Amino acid sequence: MKRLLKYLRESLTARLSLWLVFFASLVFLITMGFMFSQSRKTVRDEALRGAERELSNTVLRVQSILERVEIAANNTYWLVSRHLNTPDSMFVYSKNILVNNPELNGCSIAFEPYYYEEYGRYFSAFSYNDNGTVLTTQEGNPNYEYFTMDWYLLPKLLDRATWTEPFADFNPEDIYSKDMIASYCRPIYNGEGQYIGTLSVDLSLAWLSETISSVKPYPNSYSIMTGLGGTYFVHPDSTKLFYQSIYTETLKYPDPQRTALGKAMQNCEEGYLPLTINGEECYVFYKPLGDTGWSAAIVCPLSDIFSGLKRMQRIILIIFLLGLLLMLLTSRRIISRELNPLSQLTSQIETISSGQLDQELPDNGRVDELGRLYQSFSGMQHSLIEYIDKMQQTAAASAAIEKELKVASDIQMSMVPRIFPAFPNRNDIDLFASMTPAKEVGGDLYDFFVQGDKMYFCVGDVSGKGVPASLFMAVTRNLFRIIAQQGHDPVSIAMSINEFLSQDNNQNMFVTMFIGLIDLNTSHLDFCNCGHNPPVMVRRGEKAQFLPIKHFNQPLGIIDGIPFQGDSMDDIRDVLFLIYTDGLNEAENPRFEQFGDDAVLDILSKVGSESAEQVITSLKDAVETHREGISPNDDLTLMCFRLLKM
Amino acid sequence: MKRILSFILSFCALLACSSVAEAQKFTFTPQWTAQAQFAGYYVAQDLGFYKEAGLDVEIVHPSATQSALNSLLRKECDAITMMLPQAIETIDGGRPLVNILQTSMNSGLVIVSRKDEDPVKQKGIRVGIWTGFDQLPMTMAIKENLDYEWIRFASGVNLLISGALDASVAMSYNEYYQLKQAGMELTDTNVYRFCDHGYNVQEDGVYVTREFYNKNREACQKFAAASRRGWEWAAEHPAETLEIVMKYVRQGRVETNPILQELMLDEILRLQVDRESGEREFRLRPDMVEMMNDLMMENQIILNGVTYEDLIAR
Repeated sequence: MKRLLKYLRESLTARLSLWLVFFASLVFLITMGFMFSQSRKTVRDEALRGAERELSNTVLRVQSILERVEIAANNTYWLVSRHLNTPDSMFVYSKNILVNNPELNGCSIAFEPYYYEEYGRYFSAFSYNDNGTVLTTQEGNPNYEYFTMDWYLLPKLLDRATWTEPFADFNPEDIYSKDMIASYCRPIYNGEGQYIGTLSVDLSLAWLSETISSVKPYPNSYSIMTGLGGTYFVHPDSTKLFYQSIYTETLKYPDPQRTALGKAMQNCEEGYLPLTINGEECYVFYKPLGDTGWSAAIVCPLSDIFSGLKRMQRIILIIFLLGLLLMLLTSRRIISRELNPLSQLTSQIETISSGQLDQELPDNGRVDELGRLYQSFSGMQHSLIEYIDKMQQTAAASAAIEKELKVASDIQMSMVPRIFPAFPNRNDIDLFASMTPAKEVGGDLYDFFVQGDKMYFCVGDVSGKGVPASLFMAVTRNLFRIIAQQGHDPVSIAMSINEFLSQDNNQNMFVTMFIGLIDLNTSHLDFCNCGHNPPVMVRRGEKAQFLPIKHFNQPLGIIDGIPFQGDSMDDIRDVLFLIYTDGLNEAENPRFEQFGDDAVLDILSKVGSESAEQVITSLKDAVETHREGISPNDDLTLMCFRLLKM
Repeated sequence: MKRILSFILSFCALLACSSVAEAQKFTFTPQWTAQAQFAGYYVAQDLGFYKEAGLDVEIVHPSATQSALNSLLRKECDAITMMLPQAIETIDGGRPLVNILQTSMNSGLVIVSRKDEDPVKQKGIRVGIWTGFDQLPMTMAIKENLDYEWIRFASGVNLLISGALDASVAMSYNEYYQLKQAGMELTDTNVYRFCDHGYNVQEDGVYVTREFYNKNREACQKFAAASRRGWEWAAEHPAETLEIVMKYVRQGRVETNPILQELMLDEILRLQVDRESGEREFRLRPDMVEMMNDLMMENQIILNGVTYEDLIAR
């Protein structure tokens, strides 16, 4: 299965073919479903009409025979009623009816007990057909009290002519050998209209059974006939004949379908009902047999009725499946042929993508989508070659610039003091500084030096970044070193640098700077803040705070000739100072959240009593953690110092 | 060795033959054609209970027009089954009988109305009744002041189904199910059960003439004991019993089927359990004999009266 799915994923031809077949199947199934449903209805309607026709013909045939019996009985009755005073003539009439109607089996002309007193309790003139010979006798004796029998009582009690339920004759003389008989019986009345006896004409059921059984519209269909009590009188299963009724099985296993059919047949209705017989679904078509109270029915298994339709369904299904297979193979072949240029293109593109950019894409001469695809790829190939050429040239140029920048970076870094401890000969100054450009070269600067008993220092930040800022930084740092070494105070240094930088500053660049001068003998600090971040100071055991600054001056290099003012602070011994650029407090994380002044103050409050180098290491670690791995957004310069108590 | 074996086998065969030769012939006629109503006797016969009792029993069924009682009185058989009211009437008529085994402890007699109405509440209706089995219905009708038009008929349910009768007597184990099989709906309303209205009278028992009993006392007792054993086995093995019954049904070409016979067997076995004790007692109850006798005397169906002692072996 996995291999098949993999194959389908990798083969457009197979997928297209399958989709085609799928939609074709869908359309076919919907069409066929509708057609079969309509056909089924038509076949069923036709079956209904056919069964009704067959049943009607059969019923007519049966009725014509029954009517002949009734007519014969009525003719005999006419004679009997006119000759009631001559009992012996009854024997003649009962014989004659059999002679004249060979299809009849017997005839009884029976009278109420003691009607003919001279004959005693029993008088029944009875003739029967004994293999072609008509024999006549007087039936009725203490062992056969005919007036308690159904055939005698029925017309008497119903007061009309009627057919009995088929029955087995129980005459002890065993005349009929228990042949099953149906009798047409009619009451005999005297001149006053009083009932005096019954005329009964017997008919063997063999012909009836044969006639009804012959109705067989389908190979597995069969006919049944039930009596007034639902008893089977015609049924292909002879064990059911006379012994079971349509309701018998419902006594043990209730079956509403079967009960409904039984009621319909008992009520002499005409129609059809569905019924499940031995697990097989059938239609049962039923129709009453005249006025007998009997009902004939044809049981047709649905499998028979719809067998032709099913055969057609099977054939169509086979044709359809073969067609689908053919469609699958053909479509696969056609699609494969149509997509062949695409395969070639794919293979050539694979070659190109492996690095052979000069692989020739041949013109296949097509003007359709595939042709345009070829042309597009060909154009793309040429563009790619040109682009790669340019890329190579650019890369070479970039490498040269990178190399130069590395040199520039080294030069820049060498311009600031990087050897610590900065003053190995002095043990009263703990100073450490660090500068980390955001790019190869940066615009930050710092410097310090001791001259006599004075220590000069500065931290600055040039506007902008990269090479221009680095050049400006170099100029500024040199100016500071040159001017400071002349023994000027911070304000003078600031004013001098400003004057130099402002001249010919076409780029409008400037630098913020904090310039300080410490008298190492008196521990007095003079400083001038030129637009720079206020430094942080920490006294031992106290919280960190920003250095109080009264005069904020403009950054250097903006306007020439303006005055600068400085501040000072006494006794800075054992006070830790941190001078930094905004690469510290404005360091950003991926969510553009800045490190912040509060974080700087917090860290310094915690590590304020540590050495200058440890303070800077803690700050750099904290900033690194805050950045969460992204590149720095600005140059970071930190200078930390403390005058130690001697 | 072979000779000794053959001698032993021959001796055994001789003994077997002599035991068969010694078995007493005994003809038994149930009161109707083969059906589950007589299952216990068929079981006793087929499983050899009678043979084990030393009886060579032949079961001869009557025809619809030759009653079992006639056969007994004509000495064409030795024992018959009969309902208690019929036995009382026969003894009262001067033909002494002995009840050697009572199987039924309850009445299975019912009246079924064609309409879904209580048969006892319908006036002047035609009610079918069988000759010879009419004692209890007639007594009830007189006692309940019913003006039924009784129609005597041979057998079956066709007259009721066709509408020729308004109601008919029926047995709860036989015609009752035949009517259901004919699609008739039987409810608590249109079925009147004698047993529920103060007429719970025992029915089937095995009877012999007193003359026969006096001469064959031992055989009668053996027959009764083996028959009782047959019934007890039937109650414990209804499925196997049904198979035995169907064998007799097929032999007699009786118009019935296994489902009807199964229902009949269930009902017959139910009627054999005494309502008060909950047991299969196999005894005639003196109180029921007295009640039936009083009813029949009161309604002048019998004239002299019959006691429990008249019915049992003395």
